[in-house]
This record gives sequence, C-alpha cells and structure tokens, in this order.
Amino acid sequence: MDTLVSKYANSASSASFDDADNLGQNMAGWDAASQFALPAFDIPMVANPVDFLRAHTDASAENRIRIQHGTTTLAFKFQGGIIVAVDSRASGGSYIGTVSLSISFTTSQTVKKVIEINPYLLGTMAGGAADCQYWERELGRRCRLYELRNKERISVAAASKILSNMVYDYKGMGLSMGTMITGWDKSGPQLFYVDSDGTRMRGERFSVGSGSTFAYGVLDTGYDFNLSIPDALELGRRAIYHATHRDAYSGGSVNVFHVKETGWVFHGNFDVNDLHWEYQAQPKGPIV
Amino acid sequence: METLFGITGKDFVITAYDSKAVASITLMKIGENKSRELNPHTLMLFSGEPGDGVHFSEYIERNIKLYGIRNGIELSPRAVASFARRELADSLRSRKPYSVNLLIAGFDVKTNKPSLYWLDHLASLADVPFAAHGYGAYYCLSLLDRYHREDITEEEGIKLLQKCVGELRTRMILNMPDFVAKIVNKDGIRLVQL
Amino acid sequence: MSIMEYNGGAVVAMVGKNCVAIACDKRLGVQAMTISTEFPKTFQATPKTYIGLPGLATDVQTLSEKFRFKVNMYKLKEEREIEPRTLAHLVSSTLYERRFGPWFVEPVIAGLDKENRPFICSTDLIGCINFAKDFVVSGTTSNQLYGMCESLWEPDLEPEDLFETISQSLMNAVDRDCLSGWGAQVTVITPDQVITRTLKSRQD
Repeated sequence: MDTLVSKYANSASSASFDDADNLGQNMAGWDAASQFALPAFDIPMVANPVDFLRAHTDASAENRIRIQHGTTTLAFKFQGGIIVAVDSRASGGSYIGTVSLSISFTTSQTVKKVIEINPYLLGTMAGGAADCQYWERELGRRCRLYELRNKERISVAAASKILSNMVYDYKGMGLSMGTMITGWDKSGPQLFYVDSDGTRMRGERFSVGSGSTFAYGVLDTGYDFNLSIPDALELGRRAIYHATHRDAYSGGSVNVFHVKETGWVFHGNFDVNDLHWEYQAQPKGPIV
Repeated sequence: METLFGITGKDFVITAYDSKAVASITLMKIGENKSRELNPHTLMLFSGEPGDGVHFSEYIERNIKLYGIRNGIELSPRAVASFARRELADSLRSRKPYSVNLLIAGFDVKTNKPSLYWLDHLASLADVPFAAHGYGAYYCLSLLDRYHREDITEEEGIKLLQKCVGELRTRMILNMPDFVAKIVNKDGIRLVQL
Repeated sequence: MSIMEYNGGAVVAMVGKNCVAIACDKRLGVQAMTISTEFPKTFQATPKTYIGLPGLATDVQTLSEKFRFKVNMYKLKEEREIEPRTLAHLVSSTLYERRFGPWFVEPVIAGLDKENRPFICSTDLIGCINFAKDFVVSGTTSNQLYGMCESLWEPDLEPEDLFETISQSLMNAVDRDCLSGWGAQVTVITPDQVITRTLKSRQD
C-alpha cells in the first residue's frame, strides 16, 4: 500500500509525463504479485480477532458495527437466460453471542442488493453489506485486469472462483456473505453461489437470505425452464414479494434483472406495497 | 422436523401431519397418529415435545367430550380453541409446562363456516385462513399466500396440500414422504388420500 | 432475543381536546416469521375506555381476558363503569401480583373519565404507572413512536386531527420497525362516540 501511495505522490509532484525513462521505469515496475495480492487489512493484535470483532457486533456494544441481517435474494436459469431479483431492506440490530438484547429496526428501504460488477456480471448481496460491496468491487477490479491482459472477458466460473478464493483466505475471521454471481460467457448463461464459508457451487436456482425459504416456496412451485421472459421476470418479482410479506427482515422494493447474451438488463424497481395491493386485487389463478 | 398443515376452504378445513415418530436420531415408527377428534366437528393436530402432544390433546379431548355429554350440545370450534388456549397458557406458568404446537380445525354447524386456529407452545392463539407448524412453515406459508383463496373446493384443497408436501420434498433436508390428511366439514371428520 | 420482542407489536395513545385516541398494529409474528395480520392489541374495557396490550402474544390474550373479567366484576359490584384512572391502578396491581414472574406486556390505557376529561397512561411489565398529559407509547416500536409523536403531536387537537396525527405517527413508526405493522387499528374516543378505523398500511 505504501509503495502505491508513494508512486502516485511522486508523479503528482515531480515526475513529468514526457520523461520517457520515467515512463519506462513505471512500466517495468508493474508488479503482478502486488496487483493480485490480497488487500492488506490491519488485524487487531489480539489472540483471537473474531472474539475482538464480536465485542463490536454485539447489540449492546458501544461502538457497534451493524451487520446487515435480513435479506431475500434469488436467481434462476431459464430458457431466456437468468433472472435475478432482490429485496431492498436493510435492518439494524443483530443477535450475536449470548447477549439477550436485540434491536430490529429498518435502517433503509432503498438498498441496492444487486452489485453490477461489470456489464456482463452481476453479484447479489446477503449477509454483511460492507463485506459484499467491498469484495465484489475488488472482484470487479480483478475481472477488468483479466480483460486487459487477456483481451477477452473472464468466464463466470473463473470470476466466482476468484471471489471464493479471496474470501476463503479470511475464513474464520468474521466475514459474512452469501452471494450469487451470474453472467453470460462463452459457454452461455452461468449461475454460481459463493459464500464466506468458502462454498462455491454452480446451480440452476438459488435463493439466499433470511427470507430465502419463503422465496423458494413460490419459486419452486412456479418454475419451469421454458418460461417466457415476461413470465420469468414476474416469477422472480413475485417470489421476492411473498418473501417480504412473511419475513420481517425483508421488504422495501424488488429490483429485477435479466441476464442475457448481450449483458444484463435492469427491469425495474417495484415497491412491494404497490405489488401487494395489486396482487390482492387480481385473481390468484388455478392451483395446478 | 415435524410439520403440520391446515387450510380452510369454502365449506371445509383440510389438515395434514407427517406421521413419523422420531426419538433423537431414530425413526421409531411411520403411521403415528398426531391428531385427536375433540368432538364430531373439531380436530386437533399436535407436534412438539414427544409425549406432551398426546397427553395434552387427550386431556382436552376428554374435557370437550365431557362437556358434550353433560350439556347435550357440542362446543363450537371457537370455544374449543379458547378452552385449549387457556389450558395451555395456565400450564405455561406451571412447574411442568406442556411444550406442544397445535392446529385446531373445525366446522361450526351453527354458522356453517369452517375455521382454523393456530396455537403455539406459548399459547398464542390466532384465527387464520391457513397455517403451518414446524420448519415446513418457512417454505409453505408463502406458497399458500400465493395460491390460497377463501372459496377453494375440497379437490383444490387437496391439490394445494400436495403442492406443500411437494415443496417440502424438494427443499427440506429430511424429506417426509408420509403425510396423513384429514378433512373436517359439515359431515364430520374423514381421512383423505394425498 | 428478548421475550418482549418475540411476537412484535406496537401501541400508542394520545390526548386531544376533550378526546383521546389509541392505536395499535395488527401483526402476530414468531420472531421473523409473520403468522397473522389480524391480531389487534387494543381492547375495549368500558364504553369510553380502551386498554392496549403489546408484548408477548400469549400474555396479551390471557390479560385481555383477565381484565375483561375484572372490569365486569367491578361493574357488577359497584353498579357503575370503572374510571380510567381506577383501571390503571387495577392493571398496575394485577401486574405487580406477578412481580417475580411477570406477564410480558406493557399496557397502555386511554379513556375519558366521568367528566369526559381525557386520561392516558402506560405501565411497565410489573406495573409502574406512567401518567402522561400528551402521549404514551409501548411495544417494539416505542423508540420510533417517541420520535414521531414528539414531532407530530400538539395540544388541543380536535378528534379528526387527532386521528390523523396518531395514524401518521403509528404508520410511519412501524415502517421503521421490522417486527410491527401489517395493518393498524385506530380508536378515537369522544364524549358522544367511539370511532374505530382500520388502516391500510405496508405489508412488509
């Protein structure tokens, strides 16, 4: 980190761009090892960093880090690509350890839980919001570097593996993330589940977060690989809506994305309150 | 991982319980009856602490039956649920509380309306159009929100229940193939094939 | 997880000009899972007095029955309705009876006394009464309700304005609480009528 800072500090103050030698030196000084090394974090100088962190994630802690708790996210493959749908609630309060105090308030109803890594890659967010945001952004940087060096886009399998490898290095240190990485590469639409335990798996249909079971209930019963694009978008949206209705820690609005060959397309933000009264007004259809 | 279901329809309530009797990691029996008929039009389903369910529901059953014999008139499902709740609530603050989750399904012959009561181990009572106990609730309540209507027929009720059981088979870690379903309507209580 | 937050719920009461209002949400949950959205937490005690009981649902139900019994017995013995202030002390002593194994509810009482003077109060779970001249809040949403009431409430509101104020306070407060909401019920008590309205609110 220090070397990076001093390099930029130099170029800003004394080094001139027409100095060919200097430029050459900078190029030669490009250090792949440092570029691909894991970011350095200061680790508390204690025997067990996890216990130390816990002191700041307990509900009773004075300077508390609020780990975002509730979420419903889902993604599924179908004939037309992949649908990604998420809720948008951030809830404060947590229950970690044995303290019997908990706070359960809604911090925000407008959180972006789909992270647009690049025009072809999407990542979803469940668990620690900061963890997901930071590591998926780092993933985006690495995917861009890959693209520049190899003159082609990274595969979703490789991208998700990078993420998995990065977070696995911090296993047991309190990272919390459950994410789905989706995209379209040479071999077609791809969907991976990656979490902070180090689990990484390819799949057809995933839902992650506190409301995931409720989303699965609707998703599984309404799913068909041959769904049309509008029907698939509606299924994703509806599954999230039902999860927000039953799960206290999910809510706000639904964000829907469609991943296709030309990249992902955002298909709108829907307030679940509007959806609720809309669905209430329309017939529910047959039970097949 | 016991699961109970109850769904009301136009003129009936359909209920289901998984018929597995489990002791720690051992499956003791398939085909265990987890329901009791409290009176000709009221059925109680139970899950929870082994033993408590049978003892509590039979205690309620005998008292409801006794009421019927003494007074020559049966209690309405609402009254049965209220009685069961109070008994459970009083037991909650006793030395040895019952730890049991219940569904009370009934058909009120006076008003000609079906009713379903959800009662948990803390004795919180809720009058609901459909309900589930156990981990199955986490998968099936949203599903029921999605498909349930007030005016479903018995055939649709069975289909809906099959959907719920199907969902548990795809998502629950322990799959539970052995569900027993019972319907309560104006004619009484009967077993149905899922 | 505190037992007071196991089922979720919110109650608020406000004083207006010759009137009072009491409101509650309608959720019954088991921690994060919503079981029912038809579970109001305010109960009529006398024609002009209501009692709100947020807290552990089982105790909400047991106590609502217990208070109905006690209020009826009072009426039979005294041949008159119980005054809201008297009811507050009845509630308080009922709760303190269980000092060492409490009922997990924090009641709110709102009503008009025999001179039609507004009365509101709240108590903690073992019966410490808090008399207030403006508003009282209780339940999992109490922090948010304090914020809303502090900014919206003003003295001498007419019944219709009081209804609007208490409704906006409750609805906006529960929208910031995961464990409460899913509909609301508001009751405005005036000398000549009691109006109960059900509010349509967010269902997430």
